[in-house]
Amino acid sequence: MRILGIETSCDETAAAVVDDGVHVRSSVVASQLATHGKYGGVVPELASREHVRAIVPVVRAALEEAQSDYADLTAVAATSGPGLVGSLLVGLTFAKAISFARRRPFIGVNHIEGHIYAVVLEAKQRGEIIELPALALVVSGGHTHLFEVTPGFRYRLLGKTRDDAAGEAYDKVAKLLGFGYPGGPVIDRLAAHGNPDAVRFTLARMKGNPLDFSFSGLKTAVLRWTRERDLTSEIEARRQLLRRNPRPSLEDWLAVTPQTTLDLLASFQRTVIEELLRRAAAAAEQVHARALIVSGGVACNSGLRAAARQLALPYPVYFPSPQLSTDNAAMIAAAAFPKLERGEFDALTLPATARLRLA
Amino acid sequence: MSARVFRTRSEEETIAAGEQMARALPPGAVVLLIGELGAGKTTLAKGIVKGLGAADPDEVSSPTFTLVHEYGAGPKVYHVDLYRIEDAREAEALGLDELLSGRAIVLVEWGDRFPQLWPPERIEIRLRELEDGSREISCRGGGT
Repeated sequence: MRILGIETSCDETAAAVVDDGVHVRSSVVASQLATHGKYGGVVPELASREHVRAIVPVVRAALEEAQSDYADLTAVAATSGPGLVGSLLVGLTFAKAISFARRRPFIGVNHIEGHIYAVVLEAKQRGEIIELPALALVVSGGHTHLFEVTPGFRYRLLGKTRDDAAGEAYDKVAKLLGFGYPGGPVIDRLAAHGNPDAVRFTLARMKGNPLDFSFSGLKTAVLRWTRERDLTSEIEARRQLLRRNPRPSLEDWLAVTPQTTLDLLASFQRTVIEELLRRAAAAAEQVHARALIVSGGVACNSGLRAAARQLALPYPVYFPSPQLSTDNAAMIAAAAFPKLERGEFDALTLPATARLRLA
Repeated sequence: MSARVFRTRSEEETIAAGEQMARALPPGAVVLLIGELGAGKTTLAKGIVKGLGAADPDEVSSPTFTLVHEYGAGPKVYHVDLYRIEDAREAEALGLDELLSGRAIVLVEWGDRFPQLWPPERIEIRLRELEDGSREISCRGGGT
């Protein structure tokens, strides 16, 4: 059973062809990162018209790479939320049009469930079955959520960020210090060269749900740290580096980043990782989880992966491969597969929902 | 709404100030939240959204990545964030016309970036962190 998946919820235009929810025949992501450099490294591709421009070639490329055709498809799936309505509508409408013209069932997918299925998909490829109930930590630029995943892949929201998403904290700290966009990969690479115990961030204790996250205070603490020092010249050096070379190497970055700043980055990263893993482990314990799933763009973070391993948790921890961590359409097709098996199809009237909830 | 200045010493106090400000907002008000990183824009938005009865403060998070959040059913509140936006055309591509045309309250973080986008009767709220960590929040506008 072959599904064409389409994802346009935020910055990326993506399409993929996946067989039986496990064999990825193609996964194409039109990443606009190259375009960002031109604008100084910070511009995301937000306009729905950019998705409009990319959707036809991206879907065509996905079908070609899969050596497939509309006629071979069993169903068409697209992200229906959460995300920007204008962006969601492009992929959703395109998928509905194929569904209507080719008389194939249409399936709407929640983007966050897609991230969870990135892990399910790869576990299936290895012949592993993720035991349920599981705890899923979905962590990216836009999301920081903890879900209990119960048998039948039903979800219960246990915690979420009350302010900034973890990936957003990375991006804002990186921009503040002149490291450009996106911030996660650069900070992750440089953090390995700093002392994670050098700066102690005292975070305010939160009232309310103990499984909720907060990263805004940490961001403000980093801002204060930088204000207390004069970092103008090193920040300027990094901005110049980015202007000369939009993709600096690790050595390039190290040459313009003094040890104190490396220590700050390492301490920042350590604090984020501790926050994420402490709450994930507490939530997992609370629901007697038999597995921990970490997914979303921040799941690429090598520090997070290493720290999760070191915790030696009493259940397996699953991370997706880097290409399936960030937004892609293979995960959308994978999440649609069980719905296809159950014959759970959506009407062509399914709306794009900006704040679509998983639970 | 006339010019007013608040001084808050905690997240709770900032939320309470936002609730108070919400009471003075007419339908369709456009509120620009202006201040540096960490000044308390999202926290104040939590208070305003709460004061308008559109959502619980815990439901209100930063729209930096997602760009636009929408709260409430009766009196709708749009929570926009222009941090990632580089030029006014991109901002317009968010569908601002539509957000601004109804009776919904529109809160805009980093709203000072593209002043030409907003109606003249907008309300401007400036936030700033003081030396002691407290926040000074001043608002003006709204046709006064």
